[in-house]
Amino acid sequence: MLGAAQQREALTGTPALIADLGDAVLHHQRCADGVPTLWVERQRLPQVLRQLRDRFPMLLDLFGIDERLREHKPEAAADFTVVYHLLGLERCEECRIKVAVNPPDAVPSVRDIWPNADWYEREAWDMYGLEFSGHPNLRRILMPPTWEGHPLRKDHPARATEMEPFSLDEHKQAREQEALRFRPEEWGMQRATEDTEYMFLNLGPNHPSVHGVFRIALQLDGEVIVDAVPDIGYHHRGAEKMGERQSWHSFIPYTDRIDYLGGVMNNLPYVMAVETLAGIEVPARAQVIRIMLAELFRISSHLVFYGTFAQDVGQMSPVFYMFADRERLFGIVEAITGGRMHPAWFRIGGVAQDLPTGWERLVREFIDGMPARLDHYQKMAMNNGILKRRTVGIGAYSQQEAVDWGITGPALRATGVDFDLRRDRPYGGYDQFDFEVPLGHRGDCYDRAAVRVEEMRQSLRIIRQCLDNMPAGPYKSDHRLATPPPKERTLLDIETLIHHFLNVSWGPVIPAGEASFAVEATKGINNYHLVSDGGCNSYRTRIRTPSFPALQQIPLISRGLMIPDLIAIIASIDFVMADVDR
Amino acid sequence: MAEPGLGTLGTIAFGIAIIAAAVGGAAVLTWFERRLLGIWQDRHGPNRLGPFGVLQVVADMLKLLTKHDWVPPFADRAVFVFAPTAIVVAMLLGFAVVPFGPDLYVLDLNIGLLFFLGMTSLAVYSVLLGGLASNNKYALLGGLRSAAQMVSYEVFMGLSLMGVVMLAGSFSLRDIVEAQRELWFCIPQFLGLLTFTVAGIAESHRLPFDLPEAEHELTAGFHTEYGGMKFAMFMLGEYLGLILISAMIVTLFFGGWLGPWLPPVVWFGLKVFALICFFILLRAAIPRPRYDQLMTLGWKVMLPLTLLNLMATGALALWWRA
Amino acid sequence: MNTALFYLACVIALSATGLALTRANAAHALIYLIVSLLAVAVLFFLMGAPFAAALEIVIYAGAIMVLFVFVIMMLNIGEEGVERERDWLRPRFWIVPGIMSTLLLVELLLALRDGAAFGAALTSGQAVAPKAVGLALFGPYVLAVEIASMLLLAGLVGAYHLGRRFLVRGGRH
Repeated sequence: MLGAAQQREALTGTPALIADLGDAVLHHQRCADGVPTLWVERQRLPQVLRQLRDRFPMLLDLFGIDERLREHKPEAAADFTVVYHLLGLERCEECRIKVAVNPPDAVPSVRDIWPNADWYEREAWDMYGLEFSGHPNLRRILMPPTWEGHPLRKDHPARATEMEPFSLDEHKQAREQEALRFRPEEWGMQRATEDTEYMFLNLGPNHPSVHGVFRIALQLDGEVIVDAVPDIGYHHRGAEKMGERQSWHSFIPYTDRIDYLGGVMNNLPYVMAVETLAGIEVPARAQVIRIMLAELFRISSHLVFYGTFAQDVGQMSPVFYMFADRERLFGIVEAITGGRMHPAWFRIGGVAQDLPTGWERLVREFIDGMPARLDHYQKMAMNNGILKRRTVGIGAYSQQEAVDWGITGPALRATGVDFDLRRDRPYGGYDQFDFEVPLGHRGDCYDRAAVRVEEMRQSLRIIRQCLDNMPAGPYKSDHRLATPPPKERTLLDIETLIHHFLNVSWGPVIPAGEASFAVEATKGINNYHLVSDGGCNSYRTRIRTPSFPALQQIPLISRGLMIPDLIAIIASIDFVMADVDR
Repeated sequence: MAEPGLGTLGTIAFGIAIIAAAVGGAAVLTWFERRLLGIWQDRHGPNRLGPFGVLQVVADMLKLLTKHDWVPPFADRAVFVFAPTAIVVAMLLGFAVVPFGPDLYVLDLNIGLLFFLGMTSLAVYSVLLGGLASNNKYALLGGLRSAAQMVSYEVFMGLSLMGVVMLAGSFSLRDIVEAQRELWFCIPQFLGLLTFTVAGIAESHRLPFDLPEAEHELTAGFHTEYGGMKFAMFMLGEYLGLILISAMIVTLFFGGWLGPWLPPVVWFGLKVFALICFFILLRAAIPRPRYDQLMTLGWKVMLPLTLLNLMATGALALWWRA
Repeated sequence: MNTALFYLACVIALSATGLALTRANAAHALIYLIVSLLAVAVLFFLMGAPFAAALEIVIYAGAIMVLFVFVIMMLNIGEEGVERERDWLRPRFWIVPGIMSTLLLVELLLALRDGAAFGAALTSGQAVAPKAVGLALFGPYVLAVEIASMLLLAGLVGAYHLGRRFLVRGGRH
């Protein structure tokens, strides 16, 4: 992985970058992933970011870190840090800007530079209590409005057993009830104008079309949407906090449940970030196995999308066909991993097991049969006139809007932005594969679906290449930090036995440092930023998911449309609430 | 008005039999539809209870009957309770004018066709009042959609049948069937058939036109707040509507009971059955248009088509007579 | 017996109309109005004008009143209306229209059973068939029909004009 890290640094040209920014840069932090990480002065942050925006047009992520208990603190760090992860699409380069802050000092808000900073800043406030000056709406976003404390702070308990037993007295109940009351003004909505009284419709958190627990408060004039304000957090489980408690190894199953349709696709960025920190090289066979499984899950996730997309515009049948296909696919996943939706099968340094005997036949049967079925679905769903009338031109955004709002993956490519991490910065062996990156051009609901449909065909192509060229060799690295370590030699010498014992019982000790790893997941860029303090669990696990910014954009693309259009938009976004709330 | 084909007592008995058959048919249809959809969607559908799962109907009925009969405290209680009955009564009355065979009918009115149209237009109140009385925003939106949809589609629903009336020279459904001895009206009145079928699906608000209900948009639309028997009444009304519309299409366009070899009532039943299957297939295949698209379709496509059909039929009828 | 049915329908029509006028709640008033229209339809039927009866149901009860309900829904009467209504929710409130509709239903069924005999008894002894209505309308009364159609056309154009303004305002961005 060091090779890749150097490559990322060379692409970005760190010295030139520092020279550009001049004396605003306080410190250049070396990270294991080679991404230039620059500490800048808090007051000059907006100016720096504005300067960087031309080269890095996308704000990929914004998050806080509580540095108070960190032993290996970077030089410029204070009690808290706010990290701005930027992405340049043209040359696929990254940059991290960090700002040190001691509350109650406030960090200048960057909402006016990137509109998607709005929710990220709210999240940082919610999780750490960090103030952002100039942010008009610094409210809870993931936690309930009545929550006390800021959960990702190191002094906030991580489990219920560390807290007082829960009780609900009358006073508390009244307070909770009051917090549930809907007041349009608090959501930035007007009750009425001179000639119209608006109707407010609460769509969700339980609604057949919101795909989980997602709520949108709608301001309606008849059935026309005047404003839509999304409300998230109903699926928040504190995955990032769990990352700080679990060992590096035992966090893997939690990642499966972030995008619960993506299966092992979630393991990939996590284990690769850990491998970057630890400097583990993954053997070729493990790489190809990972790619094959990841692409199988991409198909699985897209099939669910495809079926529910057709269903949400009122077509009843496709979802049944697609779920049947997904069932076939799960058969393969089960044969290989033993699990179905959440196999948690990737390991630090490789995968859990070698492929079982006869896997080729299963995979071949599936990829041979699938293209004909996709043709059939094309005729049934995508070519249907009513479906086209419901989705073409609906919920469209421009390339500029997509980049501004941090939209990634198929939803970005539907606007015609030709950007796919698998091709533009091949990770984990993708450089060995032939595939095309399908593009749309209108950026509307229909194109978002069409891009995903074509991606399934490309994934089939990749899987066929895996099938035909599966390399021989070990399925796990023999690096000392690969977990669990190989068992065979432990019975021969005491050193290996001790090492195995420690790695299994406590988990591996990953060297101190920071690394992030982004992959082109099923729904867009999934990025894990890990901070190791040289212990056997992570100091900070930050999970950047593609669904989060996508929901933030809903108001922009749904104003002036009707409720059925909003449903089509929601269906076309392909989000998973667990992926949004984490 | 013609003399009833059966005696007074016979008519009453037949009427009761029709009610029982229609309600029973609607109940079995709930199971049949799920099985048929299952076959088309690569799955089984309810197949556990009794032969082919047909006892599922009984199980469902028991469940609905024993469910807590709940009226939301914020609802307009009186109207809320009354609303589901309207659709069932109206639809059952609609069956009165359907001729099941040359002598098998409850009523032979000289305004039979208009009677049917009147009953279907009264059935709308169920949906409207249900939506209004629930005092729920989703129900209200469903009711609003329903009102607009029904008014728009009734306009050409009636007009689309006038071609048939012209050819038969009567509003009596029996006369209309008799007039098809030479040629079923589905051929000369193809446009009428098309528009009436579309309007019929819209009237019985089934999937392509189920906007008042629109699960994915309005959760359950006008019957969001309904449960237990009151919900079952809405369902019953919907299935009765489906059977009634199929029966009307058969009567008006497919020669009613006419057919060789088999007894007339069997022919009638077979034709209705085939049409019901067709409607279920439509439900399985077609997505739901948006509300404004549906209105556009009604006013800008269907209404002109209907008027065109009416003009052409009138002109041809005059020309043929001259 | 026909006469009795006739007067029963009259009583229902009149009292339902009276109730429709006196109800505070718009939805309930409308339901009475619909009952009243149905009663009038039965009257027409008894008088030997089945065509007019059918039109009464299809057009007045089936379409125009639907629009009334539509308007009530659009206005979406506020919370105070609901609060006020809560006091009114007693059986006495819904049982009356219920009984009325039931009686009407029974009457209709009875009337339908005996068919043509009715019309003959109550009018000058002649039931008016749909064809006769058509011949009358497009024969001696053609001028009235044309005037009415002009009026309707004017209404249509007016409605279109009003609707267009709304469409422009509510249009897509």
